[in-house]
Amino acid sequence: MNSRKALAAAFLTLFATAALAQAPAAPPSWQQGRSAEQTSSPLHPFAPHLTGRASKDLPLDKLKVPAGFKVEVWADGIPEARSLALGDKGTVFVSNRLAKNVYAVVDKAGSREVKTLLKGLNAPNGIVFAKGTLYVAERHRITRYDGVEGSLDNAPEAKVVIDDLDPQNQPGHFWKFLALGPDGKLYYNVGAPGNIVMPAYFQGAISRVDPKTGIKEEYVQGVRNSVGFDWHPQTKQLWFTEHGRDWLGDDSPSDELNVAKAKGQHFGYPYCHQGDTLDPEFGKGRDCKAYTPPVLKLGAHVAPLGMRFYTGKMFPAEYRNNIFIARHGSWNRSTKQGYDIYRVVLNENGKVIKSEPFLTGFLTDEKADPPMWGRPVDVLQMKDGSLLFSDDYNGILYRISYAKK
Amino acid sequence: MNGSFRNAGAAALAAALCFSGANEVLAADPQLCAACHGPAGNSIIPVNPSLAAQPEQSISIQLFQFREGNRKDAQMTPMAANLTNKEMNELAAYFSKQKAAAPSHKTSPENAAAGAKLAQQFNCVQCHGPALLGQQHIPRLAGQQYGYLLEQLRKFKAQKRADLDGNMTSAAEPLTDKDIEILVDYAAGLSPQ
Repeated sequence: MNSRKALAAAFLTLFATAALAQAPAAPPSWQQGRSAEQTSSPLHPFAPHLTGRASKDLPLDKLKVPAGFKVEVWADGIPEARSLALGDKGTVFVSNRLAKNVYAVVDKAGSREVKTLLKGLNAPNGIVFAKGTLYVAERHRITRYDGVEGSLDNAPEAKVVIDDLDPQNQPGHFWKFLALGPDGKLYYNVGAPGNIVMPAYFQGAISRVDPKTGIKEEYVQGVRNSVGFDWHPQTKQLWFTEHGRDWLGDDSPSDELNVAKAKGQHFGYPYCHQGDTLDPEFGKGRDCKAYTPPVLKLGAHVAPLGMRFYTGKMFPAEYRNNIFIARHGSWNRSTKQGYDIYRVVLNENGKVIKSEPFLTGFLTDEKADPPMWGRPVDVLQMKDGSLLFSDDYNGILYRISYAKK
Repeated sequence: MNGSFRNAGAAALAAALCFSGANEVLAADPQLCAACHGPAGNSIIPVNPSLAAQPEQSISIQLFQFREGNRKDAQMTPMAANLTNKEMNELAAYFSKQKAAAPSHKTSPENAAAGAKLAQQFNCVQCHGPALLGQQHIPRLAGQQYGYLLEQLRKFKAQKRADLDGNMTSAAEPLTDKDIEILVDYAAGLSPQ
């Protein structure tokens, strides 16, 4: 007993020392910014089924698409399927955020084989493929895997493009989206380190790095967190989705669809939300006119993630240059909304003229907990013009196709 | 005391593994879990958690965390190492459907009301539910083993317990040692139904 007590005392001393050296645990970033009354709110983010769920166990018949379109499961068994990238040879690369792997899905005569391509990465949410190379954005770095499609069973060695992306080991919004711009540079987000906080340099921004030199620069700022962007096929301008802050109520503020027209633009965070609503704390003494407003309000807390312009030929002509957005769905709202693939229609001048849900059915009971059985994360246009999208809640990829009846 | 119980359980498990030979097929056999987690997942070892009637997702996520090395334990890390996602789902489905046994722990009378108050005050009920029965990826605390709950809550407070999203590390932060004892005494004695 005595030796045990001594041991316990030694442990306590160790813990006490550690505790002194250690900063107190900050609240999880999703709780940051709650008012005193909101600390007992039952609202909470949803965790994905990290081991995935089999598509045969899911109510797939609830999924609805417009007449002439068809939705089907393309591949399952891809834990926490997040961002998507398409290889030259047809490999579909799939990332995740809480897990540590990147998967390669190969289509073999109509059936899909899922290979674990990369293991042990640090929140490898961002992936993009170009000219034989897969680029991966982890929490702290961007790496390249050259010639990856030629060795899917034995991935090539990682070469570092840039490795100082998370010098502070920031809380909240540390996962990256990654895309290749028309200028040949890699664009990535660094989100705000909390729900509503003052970002540090290079935080709350979309930045770009030249893969040839590894030199980075901030492109636009005042972006709370963007986990989806793409360039307009004609104007070549950067369009991006952005998540608004939480804990300002069920209907405020709206999440955003933005267009960056020039380097250095500021999109408002943390001072001004949705282009017209000053933040109760950070907005004091500010004017929303100083910031670039969104081109479209996507709805409060709907969590728009991946987005792509549709340039394929399979869908009817009126879908050309439309934007498809994966709306992950709200948690910070007492009546849930989102959980769909959303369609945004632009005119020939690139102005938004219409927006509407395109694929629905994941949201089955807007008052239930959980309210949904699946959550879209990213969209990907395939070579045949069909559209894939990922569902991280179940670890499934779906395919939307069109056939004139 | 707890340690020796635990070692006995581990020895039984090791024996089971030895005799099973090719554990590829039997890896997902719930009977193997019973050596430490009790018959049908109702633990009789104070430091080992009961799995019976835990929310399905709460079991599969923890198995995943053990396999991926995010949560570490001398017994569970090797047990989870070779499980596939499908096997984890099957185990989770099996144990979530087992009937929870009545708790062996009896809450001391002075902690019944105090524990309920603390569970409100520190927001335990927000995620674990009003009767602490758990939901989705959040485990049932009601009727769970006293020793297990105590160890986990102390580890969360010490920022030494794997935490999917930081919620529990944050929730345990303001708890005093006394709060932890009262909360655990309260939760371990609640009905698991």
